[in-house]
Amino acid sequence: MSLLRNLASGLRSLFRKEQVDRDLGEELRAYQEMAAEEKMKDGMSRKEALRAVRLERGSLEVSKEIVRSGGWESIVHTLWQDLRFGLRMLRKSPGFTAVALLTLAIGIGANTAIFSVVYGVLIEPLPFRDASGLVLLNETTPRVGKVSVSYPNFLDWRSQSKTFSQVAAVCEAGFNLAGVSQPESIGGEAVSANFLSILGMRPFLGRDFEASEDKAGAAPVVLLSYALWQSHLGADPSAIGRTIMLDGTGYTIIGVLPPNFRWTGQADVLEPIGTWLGRNPDAMKRSDRGDMPVLGRLAPASRFAQARSEMEGIAARLSKEYPASNDQFGVALTPLRDTFVGDTRMAILSLFGAVLCVLLIACANVANLLLVRGAGRTREIALRLAFGATRKRIIRQMLTESLVLAVLGGVMGVALAFAGTQAITQLVPQGLFLGATVKLNPAVLAFAGILIVLAAFVFGLAPATRSTKPDMQRHLKEGSAGTGTSTAESRLRATFIVAELALSLILLAGAGLMTKSLHLLLSVSPGFQVDRVLTMEMDLRTAPYNKDDAIRNFWQNVLDRVRTLPGAQSAALGTEIPLTDSHSRVDITIEGMPLPKPGSFPHPDTHAVSDGYASTLGVPLLRGRTFTETDNENGSRVAMVNAMLAREYFPNGDAVGKRFIFGHPDPAKQPQWLTIVGVLGDTRMYGLAQPARLEVYVPFRQAPNSHMNLLVKSAVDPAAMTSAIRTQIASIDKDEPIFAITTMSQLVSDSVTTRRFTLILLGLFSGLALILAAIGIYGVISYSVAQRTRDIGIRMALGASRTDVLRDVIGLGARLTGVGLLLGLIGALAATRVLSSLLFGVRSTDALTFTAASLVLLVVSLFASYMPARRAMRVDPIVALRYE
Amino acid sequence: MGDKSSDLVQGTLDMLVLKTLALEPMHGYGITVRIEQMSRGVFHVNPGSLFLAIQRLERDGLIKGEWKASENNRRAKYYALTEKGRKRLNNETREWGRQAAAIARILEAS
Repeated sequence: MSLLRNLASGLRSLFRKEQVDRDLGEELRAYQEMAAEEKMKDGMSRKEALRAVRLERGSLEVSKEIVRSGGWESIVHTLWQDLRFGLRMLRKSPGFTAVALLTLAIGIGANTAIFSVVYGVLIEPLPFRDASGLVLLNETTPRVGKVSVSYPNFLDWRSQSKTFSQVAAVCEAGFNLAGVSQPESIGGEAVSANFLSILGMRPFLGRDFEASEDKAGAAPVVLLSYALWQSHLGADPSAIGRTIMLDGTGYTIIGVLPPNFRWTGQADVLEPIGTWLGRNPDAMKRSDRGDMPVLGRLAPASRFAQARSEMEGIAARLSKEYPASNDQFGVALTPLRDTFVGDTRMAILSLFGAVLCVLLIACANVANLLLVRGAGRTREIALRLAFGATRKRIIRQMLTESLVLAVLGGVMGVALAFAGTQAITQLVPQGLFLGATVKLNPAVLAFAGILIVLAAFVFGLAPATRSTKPDMQRHLKEGSAGTGTSTAESRLRATFIVAELALSLILLAGAGLMTKSLHLLLSVSPGFQVDRVLTMEMDLRTAPYNKDDAIRNFWQNVLDRVRTLPGAQSAALGTEIPLTDSHSRVDITIEGMPLPKPGSFPHPDTHAVSDGYASTLGVPLLRGRTFTETDNENGSRVAMVNAMLAREYFPNGDAVGKRFIFGHPDPAKQPQWLTIVGVLGDTRMYGLAQPARLEVYVPFRQAPNSHMNLLVKSAVDPAAMTSAIRTQIASIDKDEPIFAITTMSQLVSDSVTTRRFTLILLGLFSGLALILAAIGIYGVISYSVAQRTRDIGIRMALGASRTDVLRDVIGLGARLTGVGLLLGLIGALAATRVLSSLLFGVRSTDALTFTAASLVLLVVSLFASYMPARRAMRVDPIVALRYE
Repeated sequence: MGDKSSDLVQGTLDMLVLKTLALEPMHGYGITVRIEQMSRGVFHVNPGSLFLAIQRLERDGLIKGEWKASENNRRAKYYALTEKGRKRLNNETREWGRQAAAIARILEAS
């Protein structure tokens, strides 16, 4: 009750201020009159009595002020006053306001934009129930690292693990979607029936899988992604129960996934893994590791470390029990959150650090501007102090002004960030952030709000306390306007500048290191020619192509027709092309080699390719010959190997003519020998920064594969050939989708996306930092010149030359720069280490880069000091002295 | 503020105002004079602090003000204790007595 009354009374004072004020005035006047009458009884005159009362009891205004300041509404009231005063002050100096606002807008805007990435990718909770208990499991092998899980191993894990309450296999599976306008390839996952319930998700429409549907031979059912349901089924709720044609088979749509469902791969459809295994019986082999991680939910009582040690034990037992397939295979557990972050974490955090530096520099600049203004306002402040305002009160008012500045700048900054996030989402190729949403959501806006308040304190506190310091005020009273700046204040300003320069150097060094890395990386020879090579993928999954002959014929037809197209210099087929992450690896046994342990056989990448593959992709032939049209199903089995394999297993340079088999020797079977006919150069299959691996090539007619890439080397712009190629392929089979159409140079470019993205933004931020620092040092030197005009005049009158003055002023800039560079170098040495994982061919302490960055900063900051120095040089001693 | 007079312990002014008003409704100046007289000049009450206390008590519903003509035919605001104020005064008086006695015991014990 009393709270309400308090509120009501406070509001009354706020909104009926005059009435309340009049009442209080009248009451206090009555009080004074009564006190005076008392005194008059003792014989004083009325005038004397009133004066005595004022002396004894304080003036009416002071009393009023005390009473007013007692209620909570007074805080609101003074805040309002300060706000209006602050806005008025900002309007009075538009130049200062514009520079400060722009600086803050850039600082806060850049931070907000980058934080939207930090939040979306690193912080935003996954849309799953209790996501911290979700773990992704893989197998590992010393030869490769993390690999997929084979289905029989998954089954053993499931039956033996106690630390996981549930596990599900999640197998990447592509589908050809037909029966719509154009045949297309969509991404999907074949999952155990409990997949969604492990994630704690329910279908948006329809129902989840039932255990009975997760079996080979069960009627095919499918769950659609929300996006696919929107784009292909017009968001029609009656789609549930309808049939959709995938790979030429009718699937019943049983449900639609919720819109916020995400997975690490493109998941347009989900199918029970049981039916998928029915169609892919090879995956039932223990040695077959396709593209299948396992999702697990930790049991309520178990911890991550427990689960890891239990799983390691299980993997060790399986590796003893099934050495042929599991020798040296271990297990890797990754929190699901981490797999959604991908390899961008360090890049994002580095950028976040960089923008924080930019904001700090911006704050230092604004603080310096405020100090200059504070020096101009010493009279005003002294006057207010003299009239009885407390120092605290004035600091509060100046901080309110800072807050006004920060809020206005921040609002502009958020507008910039809105544009910035749009730019970022366009700059970054789809898939890099694994479905994370990068936008200005409430969390990001809250961050911007916190930043605004913090910034107001960071740049406002020092100037506010500084300009209300008693010694400042003494200077003022002495009245010598020319030397109004105390040494303490110049030291403060110098500190800000040194900090700005140091931070700028850190950013410049980071940007320099990234530039050098990217340059070195792009000059790495990938082992193939990237110019004018078009690639596209096809996967024949429908019934007509379940025979090898049909597959061979289709591909041969494609090759023959595409080769006749005008503009096509050459065309070839290959199962796995570099830099696409697509791969196929298998153990081989070389004739006559001592048999190693099962887990230590040579494990090359394998390619099934057509004739002309090496020349189309520009992979050099080092020895022997490439495949010809006669290396077909009727010819003897042949292969090519890469230089690395030849070097490691045939050190005498005699690989050509030697034989090997796929897999391990099996006494029960006649060995299928392949004869090596040629040696090709190594290719960087897994990225420019990744070392080459062992590679084996076989003729596609001897190893027919439904999934192939078509490579076309063209005389002209390769993209211009796309539609002609489409037409040719459609004339062979119009129902087979063509997808992943791109060029080799695009693939190379995409493979360095994270680095390029980091470099562009880091370059942008260090440029901003440099500009701000230059403005900062320019401002400080200019101000110091303006302050010392009289000194300079005297010195020149006493015979100092213009060069002396110039040297003196530039000397100040040089000293500040020197200290800034020194501190910056120390900071940069420490800070650039976080970039290590993004660097290539250059150490995080690269001397050349650091020297270059220092030079850039030195030149810019000396130039910024030179301009005001020139002004100092032109000071006319007569004018300077008379002015005073 | 006079040299000899002491500042009031934080919060005690509210209690003294309540006590003064327990006898009869009174205006601001009257409250001052009464407190200073009763304390025999130990306490000195400034109008600023007094009206601040009054504003606080009024907002808490412990006292109620009303404009009236004073003895000298001047308009003045007279404050009277509410029922709630009377209860608060009783409580605080009792609590004060307890604390004062306790403090006295401690000081004498040494």
